[in-house]
Amino acid sequence: MTDGLAPSGRLAADAGWRGAATAALRTLGVLVVLLVIVQSLIVVQARPQDLITGYHGMLDFLRRAWPPDVSRVKDTLWPALESIDIGIFGTVAGVIMALPLAVLAAANVTPARPLYYLARGIIAFTRSVHELVWALLFVTAVGLGPFPGGLALAVHSIGMLGRLFAETIEHMDMAPIEALALTGASRMQVFTQGVVPGVIPSLLGISLYRLDENLRASLVLGFVGAGGIGFQLFTAMSLFDYRQVSLLLIVVFIMVVGAERLSAVLRQKLA
Amino acid sequence: MLEVRGLSLRYPNGKEALSAFDVVVRPGQLVIVLGGNGSGKTTLLRCIARLLDPSGGEIRVNGTDLSRLSGKELRRARLQLAVISQHAALVRRRTVLANVATGALGRCHDLWTALGGLPASELAAARSRLAEVGLAELAHQRAGTLSGGQSQRVAIARALAQQPRVLLADEPVASLDPEAAEEIMRLLRRLAAEENLAVLCVLHQVELAYRYADRVVGIRDGRVAFDLPRAEVSREAVRQLYLSEAA
Repeated sequence: MTDGLAPSGRLAADAGWRGAATAALRTLGVLVVLLVIVQSLIVVQARPQDLITGYHGMLDFLRRAWPPDVSRVKDTLWPALESIDIGIFGTVAGVIMALPLAVLAAANVTPARPLYYLARGIIAFTRSVHELVWALLFVTAVGLGPFPGGLALAVHSIGMLGRLFAETIEHMDMAPIEALALTGASRMQVFTQGVVPGVIPSLLGISLYRLDENLRASLVLGFVGAGGIGFQLFTAMSLFDYRQVSLLLIVVFIMVVGAERLSAVLRQKLA
Repeated sequence: MLEVRGLSLRYPNGKEALSAFDVVVRPGQLVIVLGGNGSGKTTLLRCIARLLDPSGGEIRVNGTDLSRLSGKELRRARLQLAVISQHAALVRRRTVLANVATGALGRCHDLWTALGGLPASELAAARSRLAEVGLAELAHQRAGTLSGGQSQRVAIARALAQQPRVLLADEPVASLDPEAAEEIMRLLRRLAAEENLAVLCVLHQVELAYRYADRVVGIRDGRVAFDLPRAEVSREAVRQLYLSEAA
Protein backbone atom coordinates (compact mmCIF):
# COMPACT_ATOMS: atom_id res chain seq x y z
CA MET A 1 0.00 0.00 0.00
CA THR A 2 1.13 3.57 -0.71
CA ASP A 3 -0.38 6.91 0.20
CA GLY A 4 -0.42 7.84 -3.44
CA LEU A 5 2.93 9.66 -3.50
CA ALA A 6 6.34 8.23 -4.22
CA PRO A 7 9.05 9.32 -1.66
CA SER A 8 10.43 11.93 -4.08
CA GLY A 9 6.91 13.27 -4.70
CA ARG A 10 6.27 13.49 -0.97
CA LEU A 11 9.49 15.47 -0.52
CA ALA A 12 8.43 17.89 -3.25
CA ALA A 13 5.00 18.32 -1.61
CA ASP A 14 6.65 18.99 1.80
CA ALA A 15 8.92 21.60 0.23
CA GLY A 16 5.89 23.26 -1.40
CA TRP A 17 4.06 23.50 1.95
CA ARG A 18 7.14 24.88 3.65
CA GLY A 19 7.52 27.51 0.93
CA ALA A 20 3.86 28.57 1.24
CA ALA A 21 4.12 28.76 5.05
CA THR A 22 7.28 30.88 4.83
CA ALA A 23 5.63 33.27 2.35
CA ALA A 24 2.55 33.58 4.61
CA LEU A 25 4.73 34.30 7.65
CA ARG A 26 6.70 36.90 5.73
CA THR A 27 3.49 38.64 4.62
CA LEU A 28 2.20 38.57 8.18
CA GLY A 29 5.50 40.08 9.40
CA VAL A 30 5.27 42.94 6.89
CA LEU A 31 1.65 43.59 7.93
CA VAL A 32 2.63 43.73 11.62
CA VAL A 33 5.44 46.21 10.90
CA LEU A 34 3.04 48.41 8.86
CA LEU A 35 0.47 48.24 11.67
CA VAL A 36 3.08 49.36 14.22
CA ILE A 37 4.07 52.33 12.03
CA VAL A 38 0.46 53.37 11.40
CA GLN A 39 -0.50 53.22 15.10
CA SER A 40 2.55 55.37 15.96
CA LEU A 41 1.41 58.01 13.41
CA ILE A 42 -2.06 57.99 15.00
CA VAL A 43 -0.77 58.20 18.57
CA VAL A 44 1.63 61.12 17.88
CA GLN A 45 -1.17 62.85 15.87
CA ALA A 46 1.21 63.39 12.96
CA ARG A 47 -0.03 66.25 10.74
CA PRO A 48 2.55 66.85 7.96
CA GLN A 49 0.32 69.60 6.51
CA ASP A 50 0.99 71.68 9.64
CA LEU A 51 4.64 71.89 8.60
CA ILE A 52 3.54 73.60 5.41
CA THR A 53 0.86 75.86 6.90
CA GLY A 54 3.20 76.76 9.80
CA TYR A 55 5.98 78.11 7.59
CA HIS A 56 4.91 81.69 8.44
CA GLY A 57 5.85 81.12 12.08
CA MET A 58 9.23 79.69 11.11
CA LEU A 59 9.96 82.57 8.76
CA ASP A 60 8.95 85.05 11.47
CA PHE A 61 11.33 83.36 13.91
CA LEU A 62 14.21 83.44 11.41
CA ARG A 63 13.52 87.11 10.58
CA ARG A 64 13.58 88.09 14.25
CA ALA A 65 16.65 85.92 14.99
CA TRP A 66 18.75 87.47 12.24
CA PRO A 67 21.40 88.80 12.58
CA PRO A 68 22.75 87.07 15.70
CA ASP A 69 23.59 89.52 18.46
CA VAL A 70 27.40 89.15 18.28
CA SER A 71 27.90 92.08 20.63
CA ARG A 72 27.05 89.68 23.46
CA VAL A 73 29.58 86.97 22.54
CA LYS A 74 31.56 87.75 25.70
CA ASP A 75 28.49 86.95 27.84
CA THR A 76 28.25 83.47 26.32
CA LEU A 77 31.86 82.47 27.08
CA TRP A 78 31.38 81.69 30.79
CA PRO A 79 28.18 79.62 30.30
CA ALA A 80 29.88 77.80 27.42
CA LEU A 81 32.87 76.96 29.64
CA GLU A 82 30.43 75.90 32.35
CA SER A 83 28.75 73.47 29.93
CA ILE A 84 32.09 72.03 28.84
CA ASP A 85 33.11 71.56 32.48
CA ILE A 86 29.79 69.91 33.33
CA GLY A 87 30.53 67.41 30.54
CA ILE A 88 34.11 66.83 31.73
CA PHE A 89 33.06 66.45 35.38
CA GLY A 90 30.24 64.05 34.45
CA THR A 91 32.53 61.92 32.31
CA VAL A 92 35.46 61.76 34.75
CA ALA A 93 33.23 60.99 37.75
CA GLY A 94 31.27 58.49 35.64
CA VAL A 95 34.43 56.68 34.53
CA ILE A 96 35.75 56.51 38.13
CA MET A 97 32.50 54.96 39.37
CA ALA A 98 31.81 52.80 36.32
CA LEU A 99 35.20 51.03 36.29
CA PRO A 100 34.88 49.02 39.51
CA LEU A 101 31.23 48.28 38.71
CA ALA A 102 32.20 47.02 35.26
CA VAL A 103 34.76 44.63 36.76
CA LEU A 104 32.07 43.21 39.04
CA ALA A 105 29.57 43.10 36.16
CA ALA A 106 31.84 41.24 33.71
CA ALA A 107 30.99 37.54 33.87
CA ASN A 108 34.55 36.41 33.11
CA VAL A 109 36.33 38.33 35.90
CA THR A 110 33.67 38.95 38.56
CA PRO A 111 34.79 37.62 41.95
CA ALA A 112 31.31 36.44 43.02
CA ARG A 113 27.91 35.85 41.39
CA PRO A 114 25.86 38.00 43.86
CA LEU A 115 28.22 40.95 43.20
CA TYR A 116 27.72 40.41 39.47
CA TYR A 117 23.94 40.72 39.80
CA LEU A 118 24.23 43.71 42.16
CA ALA A 119 26.55 45.55 39.75
CA ARG A 120 24.36 44.71 36.75
CA GLY A 121 21.34 46.05 38.69
CA ILE A 122 23.02 49.37 39.52
CA ILE A 123 24.19 49.76 35.93
CA ALA A 124 20.71 49.04 34.54
CA PHE A 125 19.03 51.44 37.00
CA THR A 126 21.38 54.40 36.42
CA ARG A 127 21.12 53.89 32.66
CA SER A 128 17.35 53.57 32.51
CA VAL A 129 16.71 57.02 34.04
CA HIS A 130 17.37 59.83 31.54
CA GLU A 131 19.98 62.45 32.44
CA LEU A 132 17.32 65.23 32.37
CA VAL A 133 15.38 63.36 35.06
CA TRP A 134 18.57 62.90 37.08
CA ALA A 135 19.22 66.66 36.66
CA LEU A 136 15.73 67.49 37.98
CA LEU A 137 16.33 65.24 40.99
CA PHE A 138 19.74 66.76 41.72
CA VAL A 139 18.45 70.33 41.28
CA THR A 140 15.93 69.49 43.99
CA ALA A 141 18.66 68.00 46.16
CA VAL A 142 21.57 70.45 45.79
CA GLY A 143 19.93 73.51 44.21
CA LEU A 144 20.33 75.32 40.87
CA GLY A 145 23.67 75.63 39.08
CA PRO A 146 26.21 73.52 37.22
CA PHE A 147 26.85 71.04 40.06
CA PRO A 148 23.53 69.17 39.72
CA GLY A 149 24.18 69.02 35.97
CA GLY A 150 27.57 67.41 36.53
CA LEU A 151 26.07 64.95 39.00
CA ALA A 152 23.27 64.05 36.59
CA LEU A 153 25.73 63.28 33.79
CA ALA A 154 27.99 61.34 36.18
CA VAL A 155 25.19 59.08 37.40
CA HIS A 156 23.80 58.46 33.92
CA SER A 157 27.34 57.79 32.65
CA ILE A 158 27.80 55.08 35.28
CA GLY A 159 25.09 53.09 33.54
CA MET A 160 26.18 53.77 29.99
CA LEU A 161 29.92 53.31 30.62
CA GLY A 162 29.47 50.45 33.10
CA ARG A 163 27.65 48.39 30.52
CA LEU A 164 30.10 49.11 27.68
CA PHE A 165 33.14 48.59 29.94
CA ALA A 166 31.75 45.26 31.19
CA GLU A 167 31.07 44.08 27.63
CA THR A 168 34.60 45.07 26.59
CA ILE A 169 36.07 43.07 29.46
CA GLU A 170 33.83 40.10 28.65
CA HIS A 171 34.96 40.06 25.03
CA MET A 172 38.68 40.33 25.74
CA ASP A 173 41.10 37.57 24.78
CA MET A 174 41.28 35.34 27.87
CA ALA A 175 44.38 33.39 26.78
CA PRO A 176 46.89 35.91 28.26
CA ILE A 177 44.81 36.03 31.45
CA GLU A 178 44.94 32.26 31.82
CA ALA A 179 48.67 32.34 31.07
CA LEU A 180 49.24 34.89 33.85
CA ALA A 181 47.14 32.93 36.32
CA LEU A 182 49.29 29.89 35.57
CA THR A 183 52.46 31.74 36.58
CA GLY A 184 51.10 31.77 40.14
CA ALA A 185 50.06 35.44 39.97
CA SER A 186 47.39 36.59 42.42
CA ARG A 187 43.90 37.62 41.28
CA MET A 188 44.76 41.29 41.68
CA GLN A 189 48.03 40.89 39.75
CA VAL A 190 46.24 39.09 36.94
CA PHE A 191 43.77 41.98 36.80
CA THR A 192 46.28 44.84 36.83
CA GLN A 193 48.94 43.13 34.69
CA GLY A 194 46.72 41.32 32.20
CA VAL A 195 43.14 42.60 32.11
CA VAL A 196 43.89 46.33 32.42
CA PRO A 197 46.61 46.57 29.73
CA GLY A 198 44.43 44.43 27.46
CA VAL A 199 41.34 46.60 27.62
CA ILE A 200 42.60 50.09 28.48
CA PRO A 201 42.70 51.42 24.88
CA SER A 202 39.10 50.32 24.32
CA LEU A 203 37.99 51.80 27.65
CA LEU A 204 39.69 55.11 26.83
CA GLY A 205 38.01 55.15 23.43
CA ILE A 206 34.60 54.54 25.01
CA SER A 207 35.26 57.24 27.62
CA LEU A 208 36.16 59.77 24.93
CA TYR A 209 33.00 58.92 23.03
CA ARG A 210 31.06 59.40 26.27
CA LEU A 211 32.77 62.78 26.81
CA ASP A 212 31.53 63.83 23.38
CA GLU A 213 27.99 62.66 24.30
CA ASN A 214 28.13 64.35 27.70
CA LEU A 215 29.26 67.67 26.21
CA ARG A 216 26.18 67.60 23.99
CA ALA A 217 23.92 66.56 26.85
CA SER A 218 25.30 69.31 29.12
CA LEU A 219 23.95 71.91 26.68
CA VAL A 220 20.32 71.05 27.42
CA LEU A 221 20.64 70.39 31.16
CA GLY A 222 20.32 74.15 31.71
CA PHE A 223 16.68 73.89 30.60
CA VAL A 224 15.90 72.34 33.99
CA GLY A 225 18.13 74.75 35.92
CA ALA A 226 21.29 72.67 35.93
CA GLY A 227 23.60 75.44 34.66
CA GLY A 228 25.58 75.98 31.48
CA ILE A 229 24.68 77.50 28.14
CA GLY A 230 21.31 75.69 28.14
CA PHE A 231 20.13 77.94 30.94
CA GLN A 232 21.03 81.02 28.84
CA LEU A 233 19.22 79.54 25.85
CA PHE A 234 16.12 78.79 27.90
CA THR A 235 16.10 82.31 29.37
CA ALA A 236 16.59 83.96 25.95
CA MET A 237 13.73 81.95 24.46
CA SER A 238 11.45 82.78 27.38
CA LEU A 239 12.18 86.50 26.82
CA PHE A 240 11.63 86.18 23.01
CA ASP A 241 15.23 87.44 22.59
CA TYR A 242 15.68 85.58 19.31
CA ARG A 243 18.89 87.35 18.23
CA GLN A 244 20.48 86.12 21.44
CA VAL A 245 18.99 82.65 20.77
CA SER A 246 20.61 82.49 17.32
CA LEU A 247 23.96 83.56 18.77
CA LEU A 248 23.73 80.86 21.42
CA LEU A 249 22.78 78.25 18.82
CA ILE A 250 25.90 79.16 16.81
CA VAL A 251 28.05 78.79 19.95
CA VAL A 252 26.40 75.43 20.69
CA PHE A 253 27.05 74.28 17.12
CA ILE A 254 30.74 75.20 17.37
CA MET A 255 31.04 73.43 20.73
CA VAL A 256 29.36 70.24 19.52
CA VAL A 257 31.35 70.02 16.29
CA GLY A 258 34.58 70.86 18.14
CA ALA A 259 33.97 68.18 20.78
CA GLU A 260 33.07 65.64 18.12
CA ARG A 261 36.22 66.30 16.10
CA LEU A 262 38.48 66.29 19.17
CA SER A 263 36.97 63.03 20.40
CA ALA A 264 37.32 61.43 16.96
CA VAL A 265 40.96 62.49 16.61
CA LEU A 266 41.87 61.20 20.09
CA ARG A 267 40.06 57.90 19.51
CA GLN A 268 41.90 57.46 16.22
CA LYS A 269 45.22 57.99 18.00
CA LEU A 270 44.29 55.28 20.51
CA ALA A 271 43.30 52.73 17.86
CA MET B 1 60.72 15.84 37.90
CA LEU B 2 57.14 15.28 36.76
CA GLU B 3 55.38 12.08 37.75
CA VAL B 4 51.85 11.43 36.60
CA ARG B 5 50.34 8.22 37.97
CA GLY B 6 46.94 6.78 37.21
CA LEU B 7 45.56 10.12 36.05
CA SER B 8 41.94 9.97 34.99
CA LEU B 9 39.30 12.48 34.03
CA ARG B 10 35.63 11.75 33.57
CA TYR B 11 33.34 14.54 32.34
CA PRO B 12 29.94 15.05 33.99
CA ASN B 13 28.30 13.44 30.92
CA GLY B 14 30.17 10.21 31.75
CA LYS B 15 32.72 10.46 28.92
CA GLU B 16 36.17 9.32 30.02
CA ALA B 17 38.75 11.76 28.63
CA LEU B 18 41.76 10.25 30.44
CA SER B 19 42.07 6.80 31.89
CA ALA B 20 44.81 5.61 34.29
CA PHE B 21 47.41 7.68 32.46
CA ASP B 22 51.04 7.29 33.55
CA VAL B 23 53.97 9.39 32.40
CA VAL B 24 57.26 10.35 34.03
CA VAL B 25 59.52 13.15 32.80
CA ARG B 26 62.93 13.43 34.42
CA PRO B 27 64.96 16.65 34.65
CA GLY B 28 66.74 17.34 31.37
CA GLN B 29 64.33 15.19 29.36
CA LEU B 30 62.08 16.26 26.51
CA VAL B 31 59.11 13.90 26.28
CA ILE B 32 56.75 14.35 23.35
CA VAL B 33 53.13 13.21 23.37
CA LEU B 34 51.65 12.19 20.03
CA GLY B 35 48.04 11.35 19.30
CA GLY B 36 45.13 12.07 17.01
CA ASN B 37 42.54 14.79 17.40
CA GLY B 38 40.40 14.22 20.48
CA SER B 39 42.75 11.57 21.84
CA GLY B 40 43.22 13.53 25.10
CA LYS B 41 46.60 15.24 24.56
CA THR B 42 45.54 18.75 25.50
CA THR B 43 43.27 17.44 28.25
CA LEU B 44 46.30 15.69 29.73
CA LEU B 45 48.29 18.94 29.89
CA ARG B 46 45.32 20.92 31.24
CA CYS B 47 44.84 18.29 33.94
CA ILE B 48 48.52 18.39 34.91
CA ALA B 49 48.38 22.21 35.09
CA ARG B 50 45.17 21.80 37.14
CA LEU B 51 43.13 23.87 34.71
CA LEU B 52 40.89 20.81 34.79
CA ASP B 53 40.29 18.86 37.98
CA PRO B 54 41.22 15.20 37.52
CA SER B 55 38.81 12.51 38.74
CA GLY B 56 41.68 10.43 40.12
CA GLY B 57 45.43 9.81 40.13
CA GLU B 58 48.49 11.80 41.16
CA ILE B 59 50.40 14.70 39.60
CA ARG B 60 53.73 15.04 41.38
CA VAL B 61 56.09 17.91 40.63
CA ASN B 62 59.35 17.37 42.51
CA GLY B 63 57.42 15.25 44.99
CA THR B 64 54.50 17.65 45.63
CA ASP B 65 51.14 16.19 44.63
CA LEU B 66 49.30 18.96 42.77
CA SER B 67 46.11 16.94 42.46
CA ARG B 68 45.33 17.42 46.14
CA LEU B 69 46.03 21.15 46.36
CA SER B 70 43.75 24.15 45.98
CA GLY B 71 43.75 27.93 46.51
CA LYS B 72 46.98 29.53 47.66
CA GLU B 73 48.77 26.20 48.07
CA LEU B 74 48.05 25.29 44.46
CA ARG B 75 49.20 28.72 43.32
CA ARG B 76 52.47 28.30 45.19
CA ALA B 77 53.01 24.80 43.85
CA ARG B 78 52.28 25.95 40.29
CA LEU B 79 55.38 28.13 40.42
CA GLN B 80 57.39 24.99 39.66
CA LEU B 81 55.33 24.29 36.58
CA ALA B 82 55.19 26.58 33.56
CA VAL B 83 52.86 26.24 30.59
CA ILE B 84 53.20 27.45 27.01
CA SER B 85 50.35 27.07 24.57
CA GLN B 86 49.77 26.99 20.83
CA HIS B 87 49.10 30.73 20.74
CA ALA B 88 51.74 32.52 22.75
CA ALA B 89 49.05 34.25 24.87
CA LEU B 90 51.02 37.47 25.33
CA VAL B 91 49.49 40.76 26.45
CA ARG B 92 49.73 42.36 23.01
CA ARG B 93 49.87 46.00 24.09
CA ARG B 94 52.70 45.50 26.58
CA THR B 95 56.36 45.39 25.68
CA VAL B 96 58.15 42.13 25.16
CA LEU B 97 60.20 42.76 28.32
CA ALA B 98 57.09 43.42 30.45
CA ASN B 99 55.51 40.22 29.14
CA VAL B 100 58.57 38.21 30.10
CA ALA B 101 58.76 39.83 33.55
CA THR B 102 55.15 38.85 34.30
CA GLY B 103 56.40 35.28 34.46
CA ALA B 104 57.89 36.17 37.84
CA LEU B 105 54.67 37.57 39.34
CA GLY B 106 54.04 34.45 41.37
CA ARG B 107 57.15 35.25 43.43
CA CYS B 108 56.38 38.95 43.94
CA HIS B 109 53.31 39.43 46.08
CA ASP B 110 53.70 43.11 46.93
CA LEU B 111 51.60 46.24 46.50
CA TRP B 112 53.71 47.50 43.60
CA THR B 113 53.02 44.48 41.39
CA ALA B 114 49.39 44.35 42.54
CA LEU B 115 49.01 47.89 41.22
CA GLY B 116 50.45 46.95 37.84
CA GLY B 117 54.15 47.69 38.43
CA LEU B 118 56.99 45.31 37.63
CA PRO B 119 59.88 44.72 40.06
CA ALA B 120 63.21 46.16 38.86
CA SER B 121 65.13 43.02 39.82
CA GLU B 122 62.80 40.83 37.76
CA LEU B 123 63.08 43.17 34.78
CA ALA B 124 66.83 42.62 34.83
CA ALA B 125 66.27 38.85 34.98
CA ALA B 126 63.71 39.10 32.18
CA ARG B 127 66.36 40.76 30.01
CA SER B 128 68.70 37.83 30.41
CA ARG B 129 65.83 35.38 29.70
CA LEU B 130 65.13 37.26 26.48
CA ALA B 131 68.79 36.99 25.57
CA GLU B 132 68.57 33.23 26.17
CA VAL B 133 65.85 32.91 23.56
CA GLY B 134 67.71 35.27 21.19
CA LEU B 135 65.37 38.25 21.34
CA ALA B 136 67.24 40.74 23.54
CA GLU B 137 67.06 43.42 20.84
CA LEU B 138 63.23 43.33 20.83
CA ALA B 139 62.86 44.01 24.57
CA HIS B 140 61.05 47.33 24.15
CA GLN B 141 58.92 46.39 21.17
CA ARG B 142 55.19 45.81 21.66
CA ALA B 143 54.32 42.11 21.86
CA GLY B 144 51.53 42.59 19.32
CA THR B 145 54.05 43.44 16.60
CA LEU B 146 55.98 40.14 16.79
CA SER B 147 55.82 37.25 14.34
CA GLY B 148 54.40 33.88 15.43
CA GLY B 149 57.84 32.37 16.02
CA GLN B 150 59.07 35.41 17.96
CA SER B 151 55.89 35.43 20.09
CA GLN B 152 56.39 31.78 20.95
CA ARG B 153 60.00 32.47 21.97
CA VAL B 154 58.81 35.31 24.20
CA ALA B 155 56.25 32.92 25.74
CA ILE B 156 59.10 30.51 26.45
CA ALA B 157 61.16 33.32 28.00
CA ARG B 158 58.15 34.20 30.19
CA ALA B 159 57.90 30.57 31.25
CA LEU B 160 61.63 30.59 32.12
CA ALA B 161 61.19 33.78 34.16
CA GLN B 162 58.92 31.72 36.37
CA GLN B 163 61.98 29.55 37.20
CA PRO B 164 60.01 26.32 36.82
CA ARG B 165 61.22 22.75 37.18
CA VAL B 166 58.67 21.43 34.70
CA LEU B 167 57.63 22.93 31.38
CA LEU B 168 54.39 21.88 29.68
CA ALA B 169 54.09 22.82 26.00
CA ASP B 170 50.74 22.41 24.27
CA GLU B 171 51.31 22.26 20.51
CA PRO B 172 53.83 25.12 20.66
CA VAL B 173 54.61 24.95 16.93
CA ALA B 174 51.11 24.32 15.56
CA SER B 175 50.72 27.76 14.03
CA LEU B 176 54.32 28.25 12.90
CA ASP B 177 56.06 27.73 9.56
CA PRO B 178 58.47 24.75 9.36
CA GLU B 179 61.59 26.86 9.94
CA ALA B 180 60.15 28.61 13.00
CA ALA B 181 58.87 25.24 14.29
CA GLU B 182 62.37 23.74 14.08
CA GLU B 183 63.75 26.78 15.87
CA ILE B 184 61.28 26.40 18.76
CA MET B 185 61.93 22.67 19.07
CA ARG B 186 65.72 23.26 19.10
CA LEU B 187 65.17 25.85 21.83
CA LEU B 188 63.06 23.47 23.94
CA ARG B 189 65.66 20.73 23.46
CA ARG B 190 68.49 23.08 24.53
CA LEU B 191 66.57 24.47 27.52
CA ALA B 192 65.71 21.00 28.78
CA ALA B 193 69.41 20.15 28.80
CA GLU B 194 70.87 23.47 29.97
CA GLU B 195 68.24 24.35 32.59
CA ASN B 196 67.73 20.76 33.66
CA LEU B 197 64.03 21.17 32.93
CA ALA B 198 61.53 18.35 32.60
CA VAL B 199 59.70 19.20 29.37
CA LEU B 200 56.43 17.53 28.37
CA CYS B 201 55.36 18.62 24.92
CA VAL B 202 52.25 17.79 22.91
CA LEU B 203 52.83 17.75 19.15
CA HIS B 204 51.12 16.82 15.91
CA GLN B 205 54.30 16.81 13.84
CA VAL B 206 55.61 13.25 13.96
CA GLU B 207 58.89 14.13 12.24
CA LEU B 208 59.71 16.71 14.92
CA ALA B 209 59.04 14.11 17.59
CA TYR B 210 61.48 11.70 15.90
CA ARG B 211 64.15 14.41 15.76
CA TYR B 212 63.88 16.07 19.16
CA ALA B 213 62.24 13.77 21.73
CA ASP B 214 64.08 11.75 24.33
CA ARG B 215 60.93 9.66 24.69
CA VAL B 216 57.69 9.55 22.78
CA VAL B 217 54.36 8.80 24.46
CA GLY B 218 51.49 7.74 22.22
CA ILE B 219 47.99 8.52 23.45
CA ARG B 220 44.79 6.97 22.14
CA ASP B 221 41.32 7.41 23.68
CA GLY B 222 42.84 8.95 26.80
CA ARG B 223 45.12 5.95 27.44
CA VAL B 224 48.84 5.39 27.01
CA ALA B 225 49.30 3.49 23.73
CA PHE B 226 53.08 3.36 24.07
CA ASP B 227 55.84 5.09 26.02
CA LEU B 228 59.21 4.44 24.37
CA PRO B 229 62.61 5.99 23.74
CA ARG B 230 62.56 7.81 20.41
CA ALA B 231 64.73 5.19 18.67
CA GLU B 232 62.30 2.40 19.56
CA VAL B 233 59.15 4.06 18.27
CA SER B 234 58.09 2.36 15.04
CA ARG B 235 56.37 4.19 12.20
CA GLU B 236 53.64 1.56 12.40
CA ALA B 237 52.93 2.31 16.08
CA VAL B 238 52.58 6.02 15.25
CA ARG B 239 50.41 5.24 12.22
CA GLN B 240 48.09 3.24 14.46
CA LEU B 241 47.54 6.34 16.65
CA TYR B 242 46.16 8.29 13.73
CA LEU B 243 44.38 5.33 12.15
CA SER B 244 42.04 5.09 15.13
CA GLU B 245 41.22 8.78 14.54
CA ALA B 246 40.37 8.12 10.87
CA ALA B 247 38.19 5.16 11.84
